Amino acid sequence: MSDVDRTSRAADPVETHAADLAARLRGPARAKARMVREIRDGLYDTVAAHTERGTRPELAAQRAVREFGTPEELAPSCQQELTIIQARRTARVLALTVPLPLGMWWLSGGTGSDVGGNQLPRTVELFAALPAGVWLAAVLLAVATYLATGPLSRWLPTPHRLPTVIAWTGSIAATAMGTLTLLLVLASPWSASWPQVAVAGALVAVPHGLVAASARACRRCVTA
Amino acid sequence: MKSDAVRGHLDGLLLAVLESGPLHGYAIIAAVQERSGGALELRTGTIYPALNRMERLGLLRSHWQSVGERRRRCYELTDAGRGSLATERTAWRDFTATIGAVLDPTPPPRSAS
Repeated sequence: MSDVDRTSRAADPVETHAADLAARLRGPARAKARMVREIRDGLYDTVAAHTERGTRPELAAQRAVREFGTPEELAPSCQQELTIIQARRTARVLALTVPLPLGMWWLSGGTGSDVGGNQLPRTVELFAALPAGVWLAAVLLAVATYLATGPLSRWLPTPHRLPTVIAWTGSIAATAMGTLTLLLVLASPWSASWPQVAVAGALVAVPHGLVAASARACRRCVTA
Repeated sequence: MKSDAVRGHLDGLLLAVLESGPLHGYAIIAAVQERSGGALELRTGTIYPALNRMERLGLLRSHWQSVGERRRRCYELTDAGRGSLATERTAWRDFTATIGAVLDPTPPPRSAS
């Protein structure tokens, strides 16, 4: 793009409107880009319609922006939808990844049964048992959130604070996963098959990263 | 008509203009304005998040379509959307009949003497 193009686009009220709206919104990049793009295209269509009716182009752009609503006026309704989309994403990540660390914990002897001589020290088991309970609660809430914000919400109202709840549930679950990762790695020297326990700990770190990032994005949406 | 009065009925309006076939965002806005005779004071930009929400609820589905040199997202009703539109219409008729009976009561017919 040439300098002239850049200058003209920057001066275009429609481009300015789209950039201002995008700067105000938080949420999944693709969903946000799609929403801003649709609004920008709609604005251009409105400008074209006014121009065809004989309005001068610069006035047509101002009129179109006034009819559409300012970025400040549009942002709340756009943000509300993006927050729900991010909450659904976080719920999906939680529901899909949480069973993995639970399985790792069980395989590495966390159930208390001596599976193939892998039993962990009793202290580690006690620490790990709490995160296991947190994860089960988190996965149930995640499934409920995903269902409640999809087609089911045609009949059931979506609780206003549900995105906040799922954001913090994700954060707590991510912290629990991080704790378990450390526990498994630190406890591996005491296990009969320490490489298996150490690998299990390392593998729990992957869902920890996914859930932590998604929960952080959801918290940003909620506070936007 | 003020935007506050329209807010609770936006979904019904959007479903109604999409009943005849798929439309992209601006065409939906134009159809609403045309059918209302321009009487609705609606911040037209708010229909885009509403369309996204209705797609999430399964009332609409959308696809990209080339219109001239540009690509636009076109929306169309799903079966659930048609069902929801029928429900909205029934609820609206019941509502207007009830409120109308109170605001504009028809005098009972006089008995012939």
